[in-house]
Amino acid sequence: MLFVQLFVNGIQTGALYALIAAGFSLIFGTTRVFHVAHGATFTLAGFVFYELYTALAWAWPLAALGAGVAAAVFGMLVDRYVYSVIQRHEAAFFTVFVASFGLAIVVQNLITIGFGRGLVTVPTPLSKSLELLPGLYVAPMAAVAVLCAAVAFGLLHWLLTHTNLGLALRALGENPDLVRVYGLTPRRLSQYVFLIGSLLAVPAAILTAATSGLNPSMGHHIMLISIAATIVGGVGSLRGAAVAGLLLGMAENLSLAWIDPQWSEAVTFVVLFLFILFRPGGVFGRAVAS
Amino acid sequence: MSAPGHIKGEYRSAKHEGAPVDAYCNGNYDGAPGSAAAPPVLLRMQGLSKRFGGLQAISDVSLDLPAGMITTLVGPNGAGKTTLFNMITGHLTPTAGTVHLHGKPLARLAPWQIARLGVGRTFQDLRLFTHMSVQENVTTVTERGSWLWQRRGDPARIEAVLREAGLWDKRHERAADLAYAERKFLSLARIMACDASLWLLDEPASGLDPRSFERFVALLRSYAARGITICIIEHNLDLVTQLSDRLAFLDQGRLLACGDPAGILKDPQLAAIYFGERA
Amino acid sequence: MLAYLQNIAVLFCVNAMLAVTLNFIMGYAGIFSLAHAIFFGVGAYVAANIAMHFSDSLLLCVAGAVLVSGALSMVLALPALRVRGEYFVAASLGLQVIGVTVFSEWKGVTGGLGGLVGIPPPTVFGHALATPGEFLALAVAGLAAVLLITTALLRGSFGRSLMAIRDSESAAQAAGKWVAAIKTLSVAVSAGLAGVAGAIYAFYMSFVNVEGFMLETSILLMAMVIIGGTGTVFGPIIGAALLMLLPAALTYLPFLPPSELGTVQQIVYGAIMVLLMMYRPGGLVGGRRKGGKA
Repeated sequence: MLFVQLFVNGIQTGALYALIAAGFSLIFGTTRVFHVAHGATFTLAGFVFYELYTALAWAWPLAALGAGVAAAVFGMLVDRYVYSVIQRHEAAFFTVFVASFGLAIVVQNLITIGFGRGLVTVPTPLSKSLELLPGLYVAPMAAVAVLCAAVAFGLLHWLLTHTNLGLALRALGENPDLVRVYGLTPRRLSQYVFLIGSLLAVPAAILTAATSGLNPSMGHHIMLISIAATIVGGVGSLRGAAVAGLLLGMAENLSLAWIDPQWSEAVTFVVLFLFILFRPGGVFGRAVAS
Repeated sequence: MSAPGHIKGEYRSAKHEGAPVDAYCNGNYDGAPGSAAAPPVLLRMQGLSKRFGGLQAISDVSLDLPAGMITTLVGPNGAGKTTLFNMITGHLTPTAGTVHLHGKPLARLAPWQIARLGVGRTFQDLRLFTHMSVQENVTTVTERGSWLWQRRGDPARIEAVLREAGLWDKRHERAADLAYAERKFLSLARIMACDASLWLLDEPASGLDPRSFERFVALLRSYAARGITICIIEHNLDLVTQLSDRLAFLDQGRLLACGDPAGILKDPQLAAIYFGERA
Repeated sequence: MLAYLQNIAVLFCVNAMLAVTLNFIMGYAGIFSLAHAIFFGVGAYVAANIAMHFSDSLLLCVAGAVLVSGALSMVLALPALRVRGEYFVAASLGLQVIGVTVFSEWKGVTGGLGGLVGIPPPTVFGHALATPGEFLALAVAGLAAVLLITTALLRGSFGRSLMAIRDSESAAQAAGKWVAAIKTLSVAVSAGLAGVAGAIYAFYMSFVNVEGFMLETSILLMAMVIIGGTGTVFGPIIGAALLMLLPAALTYLPFLPPSELGTVQQIVYGAIMVLLMMYRPGGLVGGRRKGGKA
C-alpha cells in the first residue's frame, strides 16, 4: 500500500512538475533563452496568490487571476527589458543565462524580505486527506492538480495546433524568418512565448501553495526540475518536457520507498546524469552531438 | 532544370557528351603501374552518401584527389560541396560510403584525429579564433597534443608563414579587428602553418579585391608547387581557371563530371546548370 | 584590529583562489560550472580527514585534496562535456545538489550536519602552523601558487587551445585539438586547485561543515567571476574583494536591519550581474568585450 500511496503522490507532484517544465521548455525551445528565472516566476505567482487570498482575503478566482497577471507581466518584462537588450549586442547563451540567474536571485531575496524565509501555506479544505482505502490517503487536491494539468495541456495543445499563433510558435523554434509569414515579428512572438510559458507555472504555484507550501528559496528547486525535465524529455520537445516532468515527480516520490527524504532531490539528478551519459537527446529529442 | 538521370558507370562513358571524365572520377583509377604521368591518389572517396532526415544531400559520390594536384569543386549553391568536405574531415558521418587517406580508412575517426593525419581545412565562414591575436591563431595550430604542456611550433616557421601571408606587421592584432581580406589570409595562414598534406579550402577567396586576389592565387600556387594536395570549393571562375589542374562538378549531391577544367566548362549542359543557378 | 584584518585577509585569499580557478574554466574555456563549491568542500574534507587520521603534513594533505577533487571533477566532466554547454551547467547543478546531500549525510567522513571539529594544524618541515600570521602566509602562498599555475597554463599552449575551443570548437577540431580531453583537463585543474583552497580553509578554521559548500556559495563564486570580469587575470580577484567588502559596506547603511544583511547583499550582486550582462558583459575589468586574454 505504501507503493500505491507514493504512486498517487507521485502523480500529483508529477502533474505540477509537468506544467512547470512545459513552461520552461516552451521558452527555451522557441527563444533559446535559458530562462532560469522561471523559478522566480513560479515563486512570485505563488506568493502573490498567497498574499491576495489569505492576507487581503480576495476570492480565490480573483487571487488566481492576480497571480497570473503577476507571472505574465514578470515574464514579459524580463524578456522585453533584459533579454532583448542583451541579445541585441551579445547573443552568447551564457550571458543571458547569467542575467536570468541574477534576476532569479533578486526576486527570491525580495520575496524573502517581504515574507520571511519560512514556509507559508494556503489553508483550504481541499487539502484535507481522505482515507480512500486502508493506508491510502488522498486529498481532493490531488485530483484538482491532475485536472488542472490536463486542462492546461489541453488548452496548450489546442493553441499550438489550431491557431496561427501556435503555428508561428512552432516555427520560431525551427526558423525565425518563417515567423514573418504569419504576420508576426520574432520580437512580438517572443513576448507571447514568455506570456504563455510564465502562465503555465501559475496553476502549479497555486496548487503547491495549497499543498506542501511555499518558501522563497524554492525557486532553485523549480529551476532544477525545469532544466532536468527539459533535458530528459529532449530539448525542443514540449511533450517531452511534460512527460519528463511527470516522470521526475513520480521518481521523486517512488524513491521514498527505498531512500530517505533528503536524498529524493538527488534522485532527479541521478536520472539526469544517466540521460546525459547515455541518451543526451532525451526521450523525444534527436541524438545530440557536439 | 536538372541534369539527366545518372547511374554509376555511365560516367565512364561521359554522358555529357564531350565532357571529359578522367581516370580519377568514380574510382576509375586503379593505380595501374606504368602510368608514370598519373600521380598516386591521396584521398579516395567511394560511394559517399549523406541523408539528413528526408533530404538526400549527397548521393553516391566517388572522387579521388590525386597527390600534388589542385582540384576545384564547383557547383550551384546547395549542391552539397561543404557537406562533402564535412564528411572528409569527420565533422559529419556519411550515411554510406568510405573515405580513405593514403589508403587508411577515416571512418569513425574524430575530426581532430583526421586533422592530425594531415588534413587541413578552412571554413566558408572562416571561424577564426577571434579573441586571440593573429600570431596566436597561427601558433595554436602548430601546437598539437592534449597535455597541459605542448611543444610550441617552430617560431621561425610561424614567422615565415605570417610573412608569406602578409600578416607579420599585424601579428599582435586581435583577429576580430582585422579587415576582411586580412581575415581571409589569416584563415589560410592557419592551414599553411600546420603540416597538412591535404588542404580543403571552402570558398577561400570569395569577396577579395583584385590585388589581394592575385596575392592569394600566387600563394596557393607556391604551396601546390611544394607538393600539397589542394581541393578548393569555389564560385570564382577566375580562380578556377587560373589554378585548377582538374575540376569536379557537383549538383544536387551528385558528381556530374570531373576532369579537365576547360573541357568541363565548355560543356553546354553543365554550364547551363552552373550559370543558370547563378543568374 | 590586527587579528580582524588578518582574518579578512585569509578569507580573501581563499575566495580569490576559488574565483581564479572558476574563471579558469568559465572565462577561458567557456564552461559554466555551478558545482565549484563542491570541489572546495571535497578539498576541505579530504585534507581534514588526512590530518585527523593519517598525517598532518601539509604537503600530503594538500596533495590528497588536489587529487580527490580533480578525480571527482573528471567524473562530472567526461560525460557532460561531450554535449552542449547547457548540459554541463545542468550536470554541475546536479552535482552541487547531490554533493550537499552527501556532505550532510556521510557522517563517517564529513561528520554529517555537525561537521568536523578539531582539525589539527598542518605541519611544514616539522613545524606546526600556529599563529594567525603563519596561516596568513599559507593563504597568500596558496593564492600565489594558484595564480602562478593558472597564468602559466593560460599564457602557454594550453591556454591558446582553451581559447581556440571557446572561439570556435569546430575550427579547433580541424586544427587537431582533442577538444574533449582539453576541456576535461581544464575542469580537473580548476577543481584540483579549488581543493587546495578547501584544504587551506579547513586548516585555518580547524572546523568544516556543509554550510560553506552549498549552492549559495557556488552562486557567490560565479558572481565574483562575472562581476570582476571573466577571462582576465585580475577580474576574479577584484570580484572576490568587492563581494567580500559588500557585506561590510552594507553595515554602514543605517536603514538596513542587520538580519536582512545577507538578503540585501544577494539582491545587490544579483542586480549588478543583470546590469553588467546588459551593458558590460566583460565585467568590471573586462569591459564591453567578453572573454579576454591571459
